[in-house]
Amino acid sequence: MRKTLILLSIIVFAISVKAQRAGYSAVTDLSKFKTAFLEVAQKTTTIKSDFIQEKNLSMLSEKITSKGKFWFKKSNQVRMEYSQPFAYLMIINQDKVYIKDGTKENTISTKSNKLFQQINKITVDCVQGTALDNPDFSTKVFENKSSYLVELTPVSKSLKDYFSTINIIIDKKDYSVSTIVMNESSGDNTTIHFINKEFNTNLPDALFSIK
Amino acid sequence: MRYFLLSSCLFIVLSCNTAYKSLQMKTGNTAVLHKFEINDSAALLYNTQVDVLNKHLSGLLLMKRMPDSSVRMVFSSEMGLTFFDFAFNKDGSFKVYAIIDKMNRKPVIKTLRKDFELVLMRGLDSNKVSIRGNDSLTYYIFRQSKGYNTYIMNNDATILVSMERSSKRKPVVQAIMQKYTAGIPDTIGISHTTFKFNIGLKRIIR
Repeated sequence: MRKTLILLSIIVFAISVKAQRAGYSAVTDLSKFKTAFLEVAQKTTTIKSDFIQEKNLSMLSEKITSKGKFWFKKSNQVRMEYSQPFAYLMIINQDKVYIKDGTKENTISTKSNKLFQQINKITVDCVQGTALDNPDFSTKVFENKSSYLVELTPVSKSLKDYFSTINIIIDKKDYSVSTIVMNESSGDNTTIHFINKEFNTNLPDALFSIK
Repeated sequence: MRYFLLSSCLFIVLSCNTAYKSLQMKTGNTAVLHKFEINDSAALLYNTQVDVLNKHLSGLLLMKRMPDSSVRMVFSSEMGLTFFDFAFNKDGSFKVYAIIDKMNRKPVIKTLRKDFELVLMRGLDSNKVSIRGNDSLTYYIFRQSKGYNTYIMNNDATILVSMERSSKRKPVVQAIMQKYTAGIPDTIGISHTTFKFNIGLKRIIR
């Protein structure tokens, strides 16, 4: 009996260690986190930020770094403008996505493109504080001293094709998203760091207009 | 005797690639092509535009020669999602490391493999070459398992004018590599002649 208990304890310990993420432990009070995160997100009407994106190609030992600016305006309006080392603009406005790469311009209705709809939803959910309720993912929340880690695991096959997990790192001091890590099943990942964040500044609608 | 003449004529007609039948036989050395091979000793990054039928796709193509001399090609979206990850091995074999479901179709993979093998100058076997040309251009026509890969140069062998993948009858793919700096082309273009499928690459200096 005693042996069985020890064995059981080891198994439970092993599982709980595996469930944690490096430097993080499972969040103790999930509802407190959810409430605080949602409360801050509800008060956030705009976000302006710079970003640094790094795609890590693990097997090739290569990293592709790009930089740009990010704007968010409630509700459902996002502008991501890459400036280095290439020019690329993406605007999400409600159910439309506008893309300008080089001289090519393209507007896609997310209503007719399920995948774009899901990716659109992830982007907006991450900054709008509703990622925890996205039915396309199962969610786990971890924490350390300075941040929360929300781990999203895709449920649908179409998203699994792109991501194994998406990790959102949220700063404990202001409940803002500091990093998004998109992990692929190949072992490659893309990390977007948001820096120089400004909240609730006046952002003109023209930034998000799609002709 | 008549039958012999007839069969000889037929043999000549069938053995000659009709896409280039109007060209004269020439002498030349395939070594001149090597200076136009992409010098991929460092990882190269290209801004990539793909137009296929009525769809447009853009992203980044990373090309890197690995320690085993294979060339890895990873195409991803600007936001980092990998569309495909291919390896072109030194022995001519090919491996798909990753590809998204939507592109994971045999004809798509085969087409991409053949297109990139043309620009990577894979299969330049001097035992399978026929050199032809006219007053201004020299055609290095390499027989492949199916069809031909042809590299068209000026007669001084200083400019790689274009590259073609052809069936027995006509070119099916035309490609260019231009504006070389230190053995690396700034611009690469691949264009299919039988359906709308164009790939445009513009080098990004990191």
